[in-house]
Formats: sequence, C-alpha cells, structure tokens
Amino acid sequence: MTRQTKEIIIQYIFLLFALVSVLVLGLIVFSLFREGLPLFTSVSVKDFLFGKEWYPTYDPPSFGIFPLVVGSLIVTLIATLIAVPLGVMAAIYISEIAPQRIKEILKSVIELLAGLPSVVLGFFGMVIVAPWLQETFDLPTGLNIINASVILAIMAIPTISSISEDALYAVPREFKEASYALGATKFETIAQVIVPAALSGISTAVMLGMARAVGETMVVLMVAGGAAAIPESLFDPVRPMPASIAAEMGETPYGSAHYQALFAIGMVLFFLTLAFNLIADYVSHKFRQTGSATL
Amino acid sequence: MEAGDIISVNRVNFYYGAVRALTDISMTFKKNKVTALIGPSGCGKSTLLRLLNRMNELIDATKVEGEILFEGRNIYAPDVDPVEIRRKIGMVFQKPNPFPKTIHNNISYGPKLTGTSVADMDALVEQSLKQAVLWDEVKDILNKSAMNLSGGQQQRLCIARALAMKPDILLMDEPTSALDPISTAKIEELIEELKENYTIIIVTHNMQQAARVSDETAFFYLGNLIEYNKTEKIFTKPDVKQTEDYITGRFG
Repeated sequence: MTRQTKEIIIQYIFLLFALVSVLVLGLIVFSLFREGLPLFTSVSVKDFLFGKEWYPTYDPPSFGIFPLVVGSLIVTLIATLIAVPLGVMAAIYISEIAPQRIKEILKSVIELLAGLPSVVLGFFGMVIVAPWLQETFDLPTGLNIINASVILAIMAIPTISSISEDALYAVPREFKEASYALGATKFETIAQVIVPAALSGISTAVMLGMARAVGETMVVLMVAGGAAAIPESLFDPVRPMPASIAAEMGETPYGSAHYQALFAIGMVLFFLTLAFNLIADYVSHKFRQTGSATL
Repeated sequence: MEAGDIISVNRVNFYYGAVRALTDISMTFKKNKVTALIGPSGCGKSTLLRLLNRMNELIDATKVEGEILFEGRNIYAPDVDPVEIRRKIGMVFQKPNPFPKTIHNNISYGPKLTGTSVADMDALVEQSLKQAVLWDEVKDILNKSAMNLSGGQQQRLCIARALAMKPDILLMDEPTSALDPISTAKIEELIEELKENYTIIIVTHNMQQAARVSDETAFFYLGNLIEYNKTEKIFTKPDVKQTEDYITGRFG
C-alpha cells in the first residue's frame, strides 16, 4: 500500500467517526418528528403552542402547552439573571485577580459543582430550599419558580464560569501590559480592556448556560412544583416542558394523542435549544467582528 | 543627581525568583536625550527598562533592591503609587499592541483614565497622532478598528497612545524588531523628532539602530552594566574589550 492510499484511508476512517454523531442526531430528530408531527392532524399548531390549557388526560383532552412554555422560559430567565453575574464575576476573579493557590482551589470546586448529578441538586431543592421558602414567605408550597430558578442557576454557573474563564484567559497579555503601562489600575484594565476583548466568549458562555438550563429535566421535575398553569407570581409553581415530558411519558399509551403531544413538546424544546445555539454562534461572531472596532 | 539628569538608578539588583537578572546597576539617564540599551539576549536590558516604570512587578515572585530616583523620589518607595509613575513614564512594546478598539479610542484610553474632559479629547487625539506622524494616514478612519492598520502603523499608534499621556520619559522595548525596514526608518525618524520634548530610553538588538538614533549607549552583559558612554565613543573607541567584541559582532 502506498503512503498516499494510507493517508486517504485514514482520512475516511476519521470522517466516519465524525459522521456517527451527525447520523445519531439525524435519527433522533427524525423519530422525534415522526412521533410528534401526527398530533397536528387533530390539533392546530396555534392551539398547541398558544392554548392555555394542558389537560391531556381529560375527555376531550386539551393540548395547549402555553403554560409549559411560559414555565420553561420564566425559570430559565430568572436562572440566567442569577447565574450570569455570579458565573462571570467568578470567572473574572479566577482568571485575573485570585492568587495561584486560591485560583486552583476555586477552579476545582467549580468543576465539582459541574459534576454534581442533577438529582442531588433537585433533592437539595426539595428538602432544604423548599421548606425554607415555604416558612419564610408563608407560602402554600416551596416548590415553585424561585426554587427551580435558584437550583438551575447553580447548575448553569459552572458552564458560564468555565467558558468565560477560557475566554478571559485567551485575552493576549500584550493588551493588559499596554493598559497597565498607560497608568490603568487593575480594575480599569479588567473593565475596559480584558472583559470587552473577551465579550464574544462570555456571551457564548451565557447562551450555552441558558441552553443548559432550558433543557434540564430532573431539577424542574423535582422542584418547580408541576402546576400546568400560567404563573401569577414568582412564588407560583410551574410545569416546565422537560418536566412534563418526564412525568407523563411513562403513563401514556403508545401512539395516543397525548403520546404524540409529548413528542411535539420535545420538538419545541429542540427548536428552542437550537435557537440558543444559533444565537450563541451569531453573537460570538458579531462581537468578534464589530467588537474589535466599536468597543 | 546632576542638572540635566532625569532618572537615576542606584545600586539596583533584580531577581526573578532566585535568579539574579541585574547585578548592582548604577547609572543616570539624561533629560531630552536618547539612551540606547544594548547587549545580547538575556543580558538584562529589557528587565532594566521595565524596572523604570514598575512593569516588572506584574510578574510574580520578582524582587528589587536598591533605588531608582525620578523627580527626586525613589519610585520603589512604599508610598509611591505605580499608576502615577506609569502615567509619567510611558512605554512602547516590542510587539505592536493596540487595543481591539477604534483608533480614536486607543488614543483616548489613557487620558480618559486620568479624567481629562471629553471636550478637548479630539484635539488631543489629533495632536498625539500628528506627533507620531500617523495623522495623515488615519484621519479619515479614526472610528475604524486599530487592528486593521499595518504593523508599522500600529506601532506608531502605540507611540501616539503613549504620547497622549504627555509623559516625561518614553521607554521603548525593541520597538522596531517586529517591523519591516521602511516602518523601522519611519520610527527612527520619529525618535529623532521626539527627543526635542521627551527623554527616550530604547532597548535594541540592532546595533546600527543604536548608533543611528541614540546619544548615549549602555552595554549590558549577563546582568551587569559593562560600559556606559556617549554613543559615538562606544561605537568608535570603547574602553572595554567586551563592548568592542560585541559591537564588532564577535559574539552576541
């Protein structure tokens, strides 16, 4: 065998490996759509997405997932509002301020946090956060939006923090030196040179953290409260989409409208995370190009 | 310090961890002159330059002994704020390092930190760019990213950025080593003009450059100051054999 044929064979072998994940994704999306799409022969897309009642087991059933979508979005939004400042600030501290020893300890603790199984966090939310919330604010239940948001935020912090940290770390040393040489303080250098230069990476981190939160199932199943109603306050329970799928899938007859509706929810989630990824991609490109010109 | 001296280094030792990079350096730099620091790689010339505006302390585990007097004060005294020193002693680096900001914002970055009001900012930007002989090339693209400029233009922008702080001293750490001959020539011309108003201390690997631009030259070897004298003297009749060997290319 000549050297060139070997090279070509090796190329194709690697191509094959690369294609496996594409293929798997394709098959999953295909089956998702195959099981979910038939629902829309009996329910209109509009009624499905914007219907305010999710009573899949009633007779006749109603498959309006609007409360579930609202539940997912509100929980994700609040989790993001909590996790972004914490994650980004932690990343700034670790990459720019902390002494070597503290840096190493913090990094491994955050990695440990990333490694916690979501069921453990959910359990923590259930037995510690929920009773505390219930007593402190005198609520009917401590399993609600705030509880789920806090736990989701804890889950998203490691993602946001470690990706932001990589972005900050990648800012060339020359920029920092230039700033210090002009008489900038450490804080001025961080705020006006380092963070702007890392902004594209930081925004990617935020979007990926949000994608992580919106798709998370176990936590919202355990602590969001499970009420498929549009919430009126932050202390109301909600039923985010992944929780609905996980809770109901086991009790649904194969091929029934309810079964199809759950797959259709899966489709909505798929598009939602796809959107987050596309936005992350767009944002990181946008900041990389004009960011260098306008900051 | 005598009249005409601007900065004076007294018995300075410098350590990176346990390694001594500079040994017992004493020298004074003259106001409104160009002083070149030459010597083979690792001789300590850049280290000395970075000591003059306290940039070395950004590196962990370094230690300075001795004193460096600027305006009659030891800049390493405990009550001296390095930020103040760096505003008065500007620096241009080996690799052009403009910020990923617009040309205008690159220049205004330093003055804004000191709280200069925005009204005279455009004038200051123009003046600084003119001093660095870059104005004509960039006056129409002030709001474009500095990253689009060529290497030589970027380096002149970095000089303009340093000048916008109106420093007393300009430190240049091999400012042309990453540039082509034409850009190098432009920067050398610029140095010639700038010494009217500024004291310039330049580290260079290029002996011809030291001979062309400087009034005084200091030769370093293995962390020691070997010889320090008028450039003409160093390049024609050096007192020390080592200096002559280095200048004639016998080592280094």
